[in-house]
This record gives sequence, C-alpha cells and structure tokens, in this order.
Amino acid sequence: MDLIAPFVKTGVISETVNLVLAVPIGFLFGFGLFHAGFTDSRTIAGAFYLKDATVPVVMFSAIVTGMLGLWGLSLVGFIDSAEVFFVPTYLMPAIVGGLLFGIGMVIGGYCPGTAVASLATGKLDALVYFIGFLIGSLLFGDLFPLWADFYRSDYRGVFRLDQLFDISLGWAVFLVVVVAVLGSLVLRLAERVLWRGRKGIGTTAEVAEPLSKPRRAFPVEATLAVTALLLGLAMVLFPTSAFISDEPEAAPYYIIPKASDEPQTPAK
Amino acid sequence: MCSHRWPPVLAGITIGISMLAAYIIAGRGIGASGAMTRFGVTLQDLFFPGLTKESAYFAQYFAHGRFPLNNWLVYMMVGLIMGSFVAARLCGELRVETLRGPNISPAGRLGLALVGGLLVGFAARLARGCTCGQALVGGSELSVGGWAFMVCVFAGGYATAYLVRKQWI
Repeated sequence: MDLIAPFVKTGVISETVNLVLAVPIGFLFGFGLFHAGFTDSRTIAGAFYLKDATVPVVMFSAIVTGMLGLWGLSLVGFIDSAEVFFVPTYLMPAIVGGLLFGIGMVIGGYCPGTAVASLATGKLDALVYFIGFLIGSLLFGDLFPLWADFYRSDYRGVFRLDQLFDISLGWAVFLVVVVAVLGSLVLRLAERVLWRGRKGIGTTAEVAEPLSKPRRAFPVEATLAVTALLLGLAMVLFPTSAFISDEPEAAPYYIIPKASDEPQTPAK
Repeated sequence: MCSHRWPPVLAGITIGISMLAAYIIAGRGIGASGAMTRFGVTLQDLFFPGLTKESAYFAQYFAHGRFPLNNWLVYMMVGLIMGSFVAARLCGELRVETLRGPNISPAGRLGLALVGGLLVGFAARLARGCTCGQALVGGSELSVGGWAFMVCVFAGGYATAYLVRKQWI
C-alpha cells in the first residue's frame, strides 16, 4: 500500500494543500463544539459542580475516538507513527499550568477553543474572555525571563502512559477506554443523584433540562461504548512494537537529550 | 434535522474525527490556544513592535522573516469559527447576548470572564497548550503530560468552583 499517512509528511500532499485542508478540519471541530453545547459557558461551568456531565463525556468520547483511530491505523500500517508529531512532556509546567488553567476555566466559563466558537455565535462573555486570554498570553511572553527556567524544567521528551506504568501500548489504550466509559457513567450518575429535580444552570429552558436528552440516546451511546471497549481489547493482543515502528530496545527513546535552543515550539 | 444539542457521545466522536483527520493529513494534533496567541502577538507587533522584539519567547514567531498568522493552527482556527458560526446559524442560535447564571449581573459576569480569560491565557502558554492541544490530543496520544494537565485542570476547577458558585448556580 503506497498511500501512507500523515499525507503531508509522506509527500502525498504539499505543504500548501495541508494548510488549506486545516480549514475543513477546523470546521468539523467547531461544528462539533457547537453541537456539544460548548458554546454556552454555563454548560462548561456546570461540569465543575457535577451538575452537567456533558464536558467530561464529550472529552472522553473525543479522546477515545482519536486514540483508537491513531493507534488502530498505525497498527494496520496506514499511519506511520514515526512521522507524527507527538506532544512532548514537561511534567511540572503541565501540572502547574493545568491547575491555573482549571481555576481560570471555572471563573471564565470557557477554554480557549470554546471561547472562540462561542464568540462566533455572538456571545459577549466569550468576547471579553477572549480579550483576557490575549492579555494573559502576552504577559507570559513579554515577561518570559521571569518564568523561563520553570517553563523549560522537568523535560521528559515524548513520554507515554504505557512507558510510565511499564505496560504494553495496547493495554494502555484499553485501560483508557475503560476509564473513559466508567468515568462517563459515574459522572452521569452523579449529575442525576446530586441535582435531580433541581433547576438547571442558567435561565433558558434548553439549558435547564439537559438531563432528559441523553437518556433517549442511551442505546446508541451504549453500543458505541461497547464497540470502543472491544476495539481496545483487540489492541491488547499486539505488542508495543506493532504500533510504534522504530522504538529502540536499548535506550528508551523518550529520553531525548534536552533541546538546546529553547523555548520549544509553542505549537499548541 | 437541526437539533442544538447532540447526545454528548456523538458530539465527542465528531470532535474526535476532526482530531483523527488532523493526524492523517497533517501528522499533528489540533489546537486552539496557539492560534489565539499568534493573533495577540500580531496585534502587539502592530502597535508595540519594541515589546515583541525584546521578548525571547515571541521572537521565534517572527524568526526567518515568518509571519505568525501563516500557520496551520491559524487556518484551523478560521475553520473552527466558520464551523461554529454555520452550526449556530442553522439552528437559529446566532444571538448577541451575555451568557450568565441566574444570580449574577451582566457586568459581574463580564468581569469574571476577563479574569478567567487572563488566567487561562497565561496557563495555556505555561503548559504549552490548552484543553485541545494538551488534554484531547495529548490524551489520545497517551502522553503523560497531557493526562497530567487534564487531571490538574479538573482539580483546579473543582477546587475553585465553590468560590464562584454565585456566578453559575
């Protein structure tokens, strides 16, 4: 099979076509964000009161879809995982950044992508949040020397869960599916038990009753969850080397020498 | 045909498919905060070019005569804006309004939105990504950093939720 992904890395498409195709990818992403209800800050904030399980369920579903697709297509040889850019781990900055991010998210009601998606639907709180985001990120960059050392600290290279727990990659994939399914069920249960009969967040009717809709979709969602579990279980049968073609045996390749010309690409 | 809210699993799979398309076509993950910072630094360079030149962090955006907005993430963001706009238009949900809980004034809500945005803007740069680039993409790549980030986002959110409950409940 000659058609090997990622297409821009294997020369199937040019760099320019790659940029053009980013637009439909973003379109699908934004379309999904709207239908997830993520353009409404009250839905997002509801997650932090265990009042609305939409945010964690959508995130779990997206991660499981991306994960099964990425590793499943690597397994059958369609994606050359050696050519994929994997997010490197700087552990402490990720932890401290994550805590600050969570605090900001429950205060502001959005994360960056959802704020832009919401702004596109005309919401003023999203506009103000967006302005705040620009100021915050400019502060980070303009005063960079103050936190440059911390920003560059605790570099672990490309560091995966299977390496952390010393299990095979297939097992890690399966366990993530299990966590996602169980986590979704528990959070939905919490939403029903803790907030049953009380008024929903917000003032509009559709936000006031988000609990009734998922119930009708339950058969579909249960089928999808079982499918994901079976796909994950199938991956357990394969050794890590079946997913990652070039993993050297001797030196774990995630211990990459620390990059000298920091800062690293802040691509994301 | 048009329903505002899809079942969360179906909406999540739609987002997951866009992530998968990014892997297959571009060999990288999606991301939102990168494009926003690039937009901010382009504005800053327009009005205060001195600040940008002095910043060791922002210099890379302009290295080798590059223009910060000519970037994969920015094109993706253009698509995201179109996708959300079209979806809202189809559902008749395009409205200029301030979304808030029942017990807070519009001005109070906007003030907190500014504070939250400021914190998130700083945190996303420190963590090298946001809920898209770190949590969703890192999560599906099985990245330890991505999962640590995601756990901490929820830890920080749950810990702070009580203090701002007046805004939402």
